[in-house]
Amino acid sequence: MQALRTAATGMAAQQLNVEVISNNIANMNTVGFKKQRAEFQDLLYQTIERAGAQSSDQGTVVPTGVQVGGGVKTGSVYRITQQGALTSTGNKLDVAISGRGYFQVLMPGGETAYTRAGNFSPNDQGQLVTEDGYLVQPAITIPQDATDISISKSGQVQAVRTGQTTPEVIGNLELATFVNEAGLDAIGDNLLLESAASGAPTVGTPGTEGIGGLNQGYTEASNVDAVTEITALIVAQRAYEMNSKVITSADEMLRTTSNLRS
Amino acid sequence: MDNALYVGLSRQMTLRRELDIVANNIANADTTGFKVESLMVETEPMAPAQTAGAPRPVKFVIDRSVGRDFGQGTLRQTGAPFDLGLDGNGFFKVRTPDGEQFTRDGRFRLDDAGRITTQEGMPILDEGGGEIVIEPKDGPVTIAPDGTVSQGRNLLGKIGVARFDTLSILEKVGDNRYRNTSNQQPVAASGVTMHQGMLEGSNVKPITEITRMIEVTRAYESMAKMMDANAELSRRSIERMGKLN
Repeated sequence: MQALRTAATGMAAQQLNVEVISNNIANMNTVGFKKQRAEFQDLLYQTIERAGAQSSDQGTVVPTGVQVGGGVKTGSVYRITQQGALTSTGNKLDVAISGRGYFQVLMPGGETAYTRAGNFSPNDQGQLVTEDGYLVQPAITIPQDATDISISKSGQVQAVRTGQTTPEVIGNLELATFVNEAGLDAIGDNLLLESAASGAPTVGTPGTEGIGGLNQGYTEASNVDAVTEITALIVAQRAYEMNSKVITSADEMLRTTSNLRS
Repeated sequence: MDNALYVGLSRQMTLRRELDIVANNIANADTTGFKVESLMVETEPMAPAQTAGAPRPVKFVIDRSVGRDFGQGTLRQTGAPFDLGLDGNGFFKVRTPDGEQFTRDGRFRLDDAGRITTQEGMPILDEGGGEIVIEPKDGPVTIAPDGTVSQGRNLLGKIGVARFDTLSILEKVGDNRYRNTSNQQPVAASGVTMHQGMLEGSNVKPITEITRMIEVTRAYESMAKMMDANAELSRRSIERMGKLN
């Protein structure tokens, strides 16, 4: 019976939906996290009677035909790259992007990863690194005797050394943008990699050519909205339940058939 | 004598198919732009189940067509910039390898060349049948209710919306798309509005579907009972008529 398989695809889809929603909720407080959405599409249709077929020798035609669908499938899990709220932290090395763009991070393997999480810190050599200790590109080294650090909207990093009054430029932060941000590959740890779908990165100065500006002392909160997620969770659970009811119904019909005597 | 069995069987076959359709509706209750379907059954016009001369013609039942309710689904807010909810009678035009197809699923995105595409990367067409290309440098994209795509002051095109006078010529091909099965050409739709950052949910009404499912199960059961009773009747008549004294 097709209905059994159709309902099974529905249950599988809702299960995936719950997995995506739970990941969103789990990352509600993750800096720079972008919520995801499971997107569903209907499966192929089995055409039993074609629309336009002749239904009599008088030339009448079937107006719609009989098409039975095979259920639902997941088209993609889409990342919604909406701006998250900026949260003030007071930390000099927290940088939030308002607008488009990603920080570039040098991975231990030599490739470049991209992130929206701007909660940086210095490592033992004074280099600016991410939470995992990966170097931020272009590399910025904070002098040992720096008393104050300031990062401008356009990414210029300045340090004031002990005994000096005028700040000194120690580097410039740059941001990478992509034509299709949603196509980036997530690899965990708030990091994303370039993919064939995202297109090649364009690196530029923050605040210019449509690239977002930087905000020192802020982090970008995740764009997960608790209310939306919880409502989505309720919908997913009910949909799962309904699909299981279809299985019960189909099963009951099969039982009726097998109970037929003679 | 066996007519009742065969008529019952023809009904059971349509009921099974109806459950398949209900199952598909429920499985797609959360699919953007999905339109609910129902099976249309009628009496088989060709072969009567009982030969002529009988007091009343007995006829089989047949599933002749699937009706599709193209009613508006509810629009819900998503906030994603390339989500477009259609409000009104019309379809987005999609260029696929199999020619132009139509969809009400407005979950669009950009591909690596900046074109507005569907989830599968098939370009969405503007009014004249061309692609719409975004230049990411020029800032955020605004899509007006009439489909005009702009970035700041730059007009990039107008997303086309096609309307069919007869919706029944559309055939579903999966992936939320429809195919035109006739020679009828769609016309540019008027009075359809697009809502950026919103999506049209499916128009499946869970209550209706569950009720329909119960109906189907019970009808199937009662058909089985009828067939059972009929078989019982013939069994008994054979028994009685077979008795010699």
